[in-house]
Amino acid sequence: MRTVYLISYDITCPKRYRQIYKSMKGHGEPMQYSVFRCELSDMELQQLKDALWPVLNLDEDRVMIVDLGPIEGRGDDCIEFWGEPIVAVQPRTATII
Amino acid sequence: MISRAEPTPPENGTSSSPNANSPLAANVGIDGLIPVRMLNEYSYCPRLAYLEFVQGEWAENLETLEGTFGHRNVDKPDRKQIPARSKSNSKAAKSEETEEEGPTSIHARSLTLSSEQEGLIAKLDLLEIEGETITPVDYKRGKVPDLPEGAYEPERVQICAQGLILRDNGYHCTEGVIYYIASKRRVVIPFDDELIARTRELVRLFRETAISEICPPPLEDSPKCNRCSLVGICLPDETNLLIDQQQLTHERSQLPVKPDGLRKLLPARQNALPLYVQHQGAFVGKSGDRITIKLKGEELSSVRLLDISQVCVFGNVMFSAQAIQQLTNRGISICHLTYGGWFHSMTSGLLHKNIELRIRQYQTAAQANEALQISRQFIAGKIKNCRTLLRRHLSEKEHPVLRQLNEYHRRALRAESAETLLGLEGMAAKEYFAAFFTLLPDQPEFDVDGRNRRPPRDPVNAVLSFLYSLLTKELTVALQSTGFDPMLGFLHRPRYGRPSLALDLAEEFRPLIADSVALTVFNNQEVSPDSFLHKAGAVTMTDAGRKSVIAAYERRLDTEITHPIFGYKVSYRRILEVQSRLLARHLLGELAEYPSFLTR
Ligand code: SF4
Repeated sequence: MRTVYLISYDITCPKRYRQIYKSMKGHGEPMQYSVFRCELSDMELQQLKDALWPVLNLDEDRVMIVDLGPIEGRGDDCIEFWGEPIVAVQPRTATII
Repeated sequence: MISRAEPTPPENGTSSSPNANSPLAANVGIDGLIPVRMLNEYSYCPRLAYLEFVQGEWAENLETLEGTFGHRNVDKPDRKQIPARSKSNSKAAKSEETEEEGPTSIHARSLTLSSEQEGLIAKLDLLEIEGETITPVDYKRGKVPDLPEGAYEPERVQICAQGLILRDNGYHCTEGVIYYIASKRRVVIPFDDELIARTRELVRLFRETAISEICPPPLEDSPKCNRCSLVGICLPDETNLLIDQQQLTHERSQLPVKPDGLRKLLPARQNALPLYVQHQGAFVGKSGDRITIKLKGEELSSVRLLDISQVCVFGNVMFSAQAIQQLTNRGISICHLTYGGWFHSMTSGLLHKNIELRIRQYQTAAQANEALQISRQFIAGKIKNCRTLLRRHLSEKEHPVLRQLNEYHRRALRAESAETLLGLEGMAAKEYFAAFFTLLPDQPEFDVDGRNRRPPRDPVNAVLSFLYSLLTKELTVALQSTGFDPMLGFLHRPRYGRPSLALDLAEEFRPLIADSVALTVFNNQEVSPDSFLHKAGAVTMTDAGRKSVIAAYERRLDTEITHPIFGYKVSYRRILEVQSRLLARHLLGELAEYPSFLTR
């Protein structure tokens, strides 16, 4: 089952920044600039690492991955958010449009 | 010296002699080579190697992904180097005086070599070349195991096989190195006579197993299964339990005993779920790792690819080439339904590699007796599940229809021909629906005059037909990803454009999933008379009505129930997939009987 992660990053080069942002969009929802909330299984977290790793230059860039626990558990309760979030969290259901 | 072998052969070995007598044996025919990775798997579990090599199954899990991640150093020569042999392991270097003499050591990375004589082919992570001596180095995730041999047998055999290939290519090679990424340590594996003999024995055994076309049985209650990426395909505990039960029932002809609950190796729920698009003229595209749905340039929604298990579209919906490519590459099927909900086609990647299963499927369908045996299970299962649904909902517990359905169930199990079976099915359905329609709300708008279709003439029948279509679509996806040809059934005769096998397997699930969802949406007022359009005697759903029905259907698939045989909690979505796999197990001879899914 999935866990909620808070992932933030500092990327010095604009080109790498755009690449990382794009990869991150595939794994979670942006909450603030350079801060994503990602619901990921162990495997999906590994896939995220696989996606970011080749792009990053760890001499200059930084990534922080915070484990907030299982979705059903502490999950989001430990986030207090002020102001308008960029996107709202969707519940887990089939998407029907 | 060593150059990159070109071109790189496919993972599953090279092509083979054209006149091998079986298309499967051809894989490992006289000149077919076995990838050494498979030797590793075979030593871990013979069934695992068979599933991967012969049946072409593959699944990622955390272990395999981390393995690939660990290899990033190998595949990218500019990243950090592993410590060279002379620095980190002086013990291994003790007998080699030449070593300290200067910069003679060369590293060659990631190349492919084969040996006709050993019958092996390998992708070598790294070779350390010093003068005349070559040492293969294999990267492993994880830590050095606490064993006198320094490594588990599968890993030792794998490196030894690499050594044998190198030797056959004319190199001097007496030992190999396994580099454990987590411990950052090298373990030297000498190629002694014992290890070489064991390696060659495993090559021989694996070749025999592959040619025998009999899948080795699952391990019994083994901790290895917990870490095996194919556990959801192999179903080790489930298969063992069913084999035992079927033997018992055959010997004593009595009902199987329910276990106290099996080890739960399958996750109860999948993370990824379907995406439905019903807006006419919508455009499905890809942006980064997301699928976006736009209408007239405006984004309606975007979904992470990792949240999508399949895409279902109704009527005119367009796709970008990139979206189709990403979806099919990831094994996500695109199901096309007409605007009215008729399931007519599917876009997916290449067919599953499990040729063995398709051959068995065609053979079985051609044999009236075998086909009938399976068909009985489908129909008997359906009648039983119809009865269960009525028993739960009818207020009158002694209702005569319950006794009738019991009788039909008994007769279906003994039916002597497909015609008899279909006849029984028809009679049972008639009585069942008469009782079923009384369970719907007493509203004149929803009055039904029996079961009718093509086109449905009242809202209830419109909803039922639509739900059957969704269920057929679900099972078509499940069967195809198991390796079946969904178009050829055992009970339903092939008709143009109808996935007959999906219709077969749908029988036992119709009452449990479709009929039960129909009851829910009408009785909970999730649809109202406004959800339907009446046109020239035919009834269709509005977009909003259809959305409610899909939502209820998806909720039902996500419902977790206690599995009646396996005793653990599992979703209907997973059960559909498991039934498809059990059907495959029966066709391939592992299970004596296909066990239809029955609820209590
Ligand atoms: S699940 Fe167990 S029995 Fe099945 S292939 Fe994997 S290790 Fe072998």
